[in-house]
Amino acid sequence: MGSETRWARYGTVVVSLLAGAAVWEVSGHFTTEAFWAPLSATVRSLAGFAGSGVLLRQAADSFQLYLSGLALAILVGAPLGMLLARVRWLRVALENYITMLYATPMVALIPFILSMMGFGFAPKVLVVFLFAVFPVLYNTVEGARSIRPELIEVAHSFRSNEWRLWCDVMIPYTLPFMMTGVRQAIARGLVGMVAAEFFLSPSGLGQMIMMGSQNFDTAGMLAAILIIVLLGVGLMDLGRFLENRFAAWRGYNR
Amino acid sequence: MTAQALPAARPVVSKPAWRDWVESPLFLKAAAGAIMLLLWEGVVRALAPAYVARPSGIARVFTAVISDQQFLAAAGATLSAVIMGLLVSLVLGTLVGFAMGRINMMERGLRYYVNSLFATPMIAILPLVTLWFGYSADARFAIVVFAAFFSVTINACDGARSVPMEYLEVAHSFRARPLHTLFDIIFPSSLPYLLAGVRLAAGRALIGAVVAEFFVSIPGLGYFILYNSRTFKHNEAFVAVIVLVAVGVSFEVLVNWLTRRYLPWARRN
Repeated sequence: MGSETRWARYGTVVVSLLAGAAVWEVSGHFTTEAFWAPLSATVRSLAGFAGSGVLLRQAADSFQLYLSGLALAILVGAPLGMLLARVRWLRVALENYITMLYATPMVALIPFILSMMGFGFAPKVLVVFLFAVFPVLYNTVEGARSIRPELIEVAHSFRSNEWRLWCDVMIPYTLPFMMTGVRQAIARGLVGMVAAEFFLSPSGLGQMIMMGSQNFDTAGMLAAILIIVLLGVGLMDLGRFLENRFAAWRGYNR
Repeated sequence: MTAQALPAARPVVSKPAWRDWVESPLFLKAAAGAIMLLLWEGVVRALAPAYVARPSGIARVFTAVISDQQFLAAAGATLSAVIMGLLVSLVLGTLVGFAMGRINMMERGLRYYVNSLFATPMIAILPLVTLWFGYSADARFAIVVFAAFFSVTINACDGARSVPMEYLEVAHSFRARPLHTLFDIIFPSSLPYLLAGVRLAAGRALIGAVVAEFFVSIPGLGYFILYNSRTFKHNEAFVAVIVLVAVGVSFEVLVNWLTRRYLPWARRN
């Protein structure tokens, strides 16, 4: 890498982005409108959504759902995971079930949620929650499993009470692991959000995609998909940042 | 310090046998499972309408559903789509990933596309895929490949980059041909990454297949769940969920086992 100039490095990236845009634009003109739309039409459609305020409203809807589900997942998953870190018999009893639920494709539960809870905000939050909670729980428990007993013993020898033990040992130790879970939950929660908006009551960005596909407005659909792609990229970067921010502690204890 | 009695040393009493037994991991796990099932049963009986799935109901219909031809066909359709899709994305993803990992030009050209499509929930492009492939099994296959391909690619790329420099130098000094370097050095040394990629891909592929079946209404486990839950046969539908969980878990277990058995030298990052 060192031998290459900075110009060459940024140059190829710019060229590749431009080439991608060109391919999108040209392919859009050679296919029928129902299949694919050129970049220019997509951008025009996006500008239309943004201008009319539809985009902001739908994005706010989606975000409200996403953040409620994700916050709930972290608020439940993190303390429960740390409790399992502290109470050994509880962890032994539950860890296999948590692993199992972690590997479960939660989408399969959507039809049940639909027929039991119907259309509304709560069932959708439940879907995002179910998608996001198990990564947090699973990773926190993984962290707990690797907690060094010496640390707790030392804390006990210094007559540290339960409260101080949590503040000084349990929470700092499991936090990096929990953040790995939060990163995964951020990504999975987004999938849950789109799934909930598709299959429960249509709303938000998911509804925009659906409406585009039902009205054969391919440019509109691509515009909404583009927003979700950008959202996914931004959220993944945020997750990585959070994970790296707290990862510094992890090496210390290894 | 006043006369504060020190706590007496704990008398050394051997634990009764039943305590040992109760504290054994197996008992704890089984008890936790039983308690959760009882809770589920109790809550559903007390609060939910009769059609809602509960353990006793699922147990009653389990054998009938699992031996039903239609159900087996549905399970076979979903699983073969997932496995075929995984194989296709494993081959393609490894090729593209290795190319990206070893050739700087490729990496810089494709990085943004691969990373952003990896971060995209593949459900979002489902309507687009149905436009391209129609409401058919092809759409499901395409979603599975889309869902799995990018995680394999990213991991293959990381794997190809993590090959120790010395190995490549040695190969180079022995005038190894590129193809030999690829198969004898790059491939084995990125196997742990590939397995990690496949594990990630398998979960995504399973979700993709189920979602595609919800959306496109083609025979499969997802559609079986949708159909039965709409006709208020939740117990029957839940059998399909159990099968999906079993598949997800066994894949996880299989990959972990393979990693431990055949790649014990692989350090987890």
